[in-house]
Amino acid sequence: MFVKDYMTRHPIMVAPEMRATEAQKIMSENKIRHLPVVGEGKRLVGLVTRQRLALKPDAMASLNVWEITRFLANMSVRQVMLAAKQVHTIGPDNTVERAARLMAEQKVSCLPVLDGDGVVVGILSEVDLLRAIQDMLGMTAEGVRVTMQMPDEKGQFARLATTLAEHGWGIMGIGSYPAPRRAGYYQIVVKIPQVTVEQVREVLSQIPGQEMVDIRTVV
Amino acid sequence: MKSEESVGPPVLKVENLAVAYKVRGGEVEAVQDVSFEIHRGQSLGIVGESGCGKSTVAWSIVNFLGANGYVKRGSIKFQGQELVGKTGEALRRLRGDQIAMVYQDPMQALNPSMRLGDQLREVLTVHRGLSKKEAERRCIEMLERVYMPDAAAVMKRYPHQISGGQQQRVVIAMALLNNPALVIMDEPTTALDVTVEAAVLDLVAELRRDFDTAIMFISHNLGVVARVCNHVGVMYAGEMVERARVGDLYANPQHPYTQGLMRCVPKLGSDKVSSILYPIRGRVPPPDNRPAGCIYGPRCDYAQDRCQHEHPALRPISGVGNWARCHFAEEIDAAAWTPPEEIPIPTIDQPQSDNQPIMQINELSKYYEVRGDSLRDVFGLSQPRYVKAVERVSFTVPKGKTLGIVGESGCGKSTLIKTIIGLEDSSSGEAQFMGFDITGAIQQRDTQLIRELQMVFQNPDSTMNPSYTVGQQIGRPMERFNTVPKNQIRSEVIKLLEAMRLGSNYYDRLPRQLSGGEKQRVGIARALASQPDLVLCDEPVSALDVSVQAAILNLLLEVQQQFGTTLIFIAHDLSVVRFFSDYVAVMYLGQMMEIGPAEAIYAPPYHPYTEALLSAVPIPDPKARQKRIRLEGAVPSAMNPPTGCRFNTRCPRRHLLPDPDICLTEPPWRDVGPDHQIFCHHTVETLSSFDPVIAETV
Repeated sequence: MFVKDYMTRHPIMVAPEMRATEAQKIMSENKIRHLPVVGEGKRLVGLVTRQRLALKPDAMASLNVWEITRFLANMSVRQVMLAAKQVHTIGPDNTVERAARLMAEQKVSCLPVLDGDGVVVGILSEVDLLRAIQDMLGMTAEGVRVTMQMPDEKGQFARLATTLAEHGWGIMGIGSYPAPRRAGYYQIVVKIPQVTVEQVREVLSQIPGQEMVDIRTVV
Repeated sequence: MKSEESVGPPVLKVENLAVAYKVRGGEVEAVQDVSFEIHRGQSLGIVGESGCGKSTVAWSIVNFLGANGYVKRGSIKFQGQELVGKTGEALRRLRGDQIAMVYQDPMQALNPSMRLGDQLREVLTVHRGLSKKEAERRCIEMLERVYMPDAAAVMKRYPHQISGGQQQRVVIAMALLNNPALVIMDEPTTALDVTVEAAVLDLVAELRRDFDTAIMFISHNLGVVARVCNHVGVMYAGEMVERARVGDLYANPQHPYTQGLMRCVPKLGSDKVSSILYPIRGRVPPPDNRPAGCIYGPRCDYAQDRCQHEHPALRPISGVGNWARCHFAEEIDAAAWTPPEEIPIPTIDQPQSDNQPIMQINELSKYYEVRGDSLRDVFGLSQPRYVKAVERVSFTVPKGKTLGIVGESGCGKSTLIKTIIGLEDSSSGEAQFMGFDITGAIQQRDTQLIRELQMVFQNPDSTMNPSYTVGQQIGRPMERFNTVPKNQIRSEVIKLLEAMRLGSNYYDRLPRQLSGGEKQRVGIARALASQPDLVLCDEPVSALDVSVQAAILNLLLEVQQQFGTTLIFIAHDLSVVRFFSDYVAVMYLGQMMEIGPAEAIYAPPYHPYTEALLSAVPIPDPKARQKRIRLEGAVPSAMNPPTGCRFNTRCPRRHLLPDPDICLTEPPWRDVGPDHQIFCHHTVETLSSFDPVIAETV
């Protein structure tokens, strides 16, 4: 799972000379929240977000109503954008989890994706990461989703995998993470196609040392 | 995985576009009311006959309309930004960075006087300011991405040093270097051979997936569009008359024009006995004289009163996914269509099979001597070298039958024909026509013999004297050969014109007053004027639109029935050859690879080369499952052909032989059926074991 597989390629981009009002229109018409600003050769020079377009009242406090109109009409993208050096970015060959960590740590909702010499090749937003989670857990087709809890020891996962293999069951999605509120344990979510809840329950509940936390059929 | 139906804003959104050209005495609206969207990773095919405004739409997007063209109404939004009314500088930047175009003729997109490497690098150094070295590295990467063999060496070559298919790949690589959001392809494969075309189409489909590029693909060929596009718009006389997903359009065309187009193209595997082509009557109205109401009305079989004064809108048709510009789309049932009476349908009564051979060719060869420019060559001291354009070709043509010849360009089809008709003399071998020897050049032939052999050329424009009237052109052979007394020539010409479905009022017209299809009819009439026994047709329909092509093929069939003429028919379109011919010969690099009855050629056992050709034919049905065989590399030079089997350097089946080196020796002619022979080392059993190229569609 790499950034290049989940980013949106060919994002809508604008030039820094564009009027801010037009950028605002493009964002609302196309229902997008982030607008990379690029210069010659599609190199990133900044980023416009909805928040950047929400002007602070004190910036206009000293202007009268006529001046406000002119002030707004003349404002360019360059004046409202977040400059490139303040924008967090990522490369197309980075992993999705690396991007997720950067976004969570920096509290940003999108990362422009830049290739080696600063050219914008795509944009990765929260929504793209959510899609990655869905793909990982096999969200696209119906199957039995089972959550197993097991001690954080070697060989535990192998036990689960062997059991599945013995019955000739496939795995369409899998996730593993430290068990919430239980130190020293891991939970594994597996989605199995073409089986019934009963079959899975009967087989997986027999694995010694592991506990079935949850089982359900999902799409 | 992203779903095919991608949501989100479209890359390109065209709304109610009208484009007009200013001409003397007013202006002409070439395109009216066209709307469509293309999303990321989608490809929209635009099909239609010539003059329907396909290219005008493409040019309007990048504002290449020329000095007299302009967007009259509507909007073109690219990535949310309006393009109509943009200044030149802003458009220039967009074109360089985000929109790329690929044209029909790669030679016109490449500068013949610059090395390919310099041209490719320029894209990156100018638009992106990359260093020369970095640009070089990326260019080579991209060339490898488009499967260019030996990419680093190609960078140092000039355009003329690589083949046509490779040139087109360079152009595609160049278009993709800047990672554009939209690529506009205007007939990108029309000038290429089927085998090369298949490889380029595969590449286009693959690049669309990998780069998520939106593609606008313009083509007149329904088969090509079925292969690479997921949405299709059909244009007619400047309007979009139908728009649908590719599967819906081919399975269930809603507009009468789309249905008509589908009936014009022969399906691969159908022949003239079992199926009929139905041309669309009439012709596309010129843009300054379009009918009121429905534009297609005058040619439509379902037209009613309402169609004459009410202009239909492009609307979704209930029950199917298509949008069509027709008042009655729901009521029209394409399956219940019956041909209207005014369409001439040739009747084919098969076989007066006396099988008397009218022409016998035995081991005919044609070599061209190549002179070098060294001093030795000038004085004639060095060994002469030869281009072996046709080598040891043998076949017979029975009287009244049609022999089709297929093969890639450069395989010697045209040279063979020229040798037969006498435009070239032969180097060795025997050729007899009705008992006369025809190995010599035309100067040595008897007038009577010349009269019996006539030719129809590919391009009717360049074969007619522009300052002679139609009547003079057709009358001239009659006069020269004395087939008709002088005072009857006029009436005889008119009779022929009528047989060609051109009225007597065409007698005094000049070639420039005729459409392409009409010119080709005159060309056929002229070939028939001397009442020849054998007519050689060199790609007679490949320059024509499909509806005209259907009419010309029908006409040729009828002529053959009526006059008992024998035809030798060259075409690169295998569906057409299959449809039209009784016997088919497959040529490769000057040699015949396979010859046999048409129906036998198109099913196993076949020669590996025939198999590769068949698997490359674009089929106008997106559901057809076709075996994927792609030939590597270009056709080797005829000056220095491979030894043994000439196909051995590219043969995909060579590894099946126990000893592949046997291919370096001359293969035997194997008899695989009545009149059916294959020139291959493989045994008949192996050849028969190949799967059919096209699986039966369910």
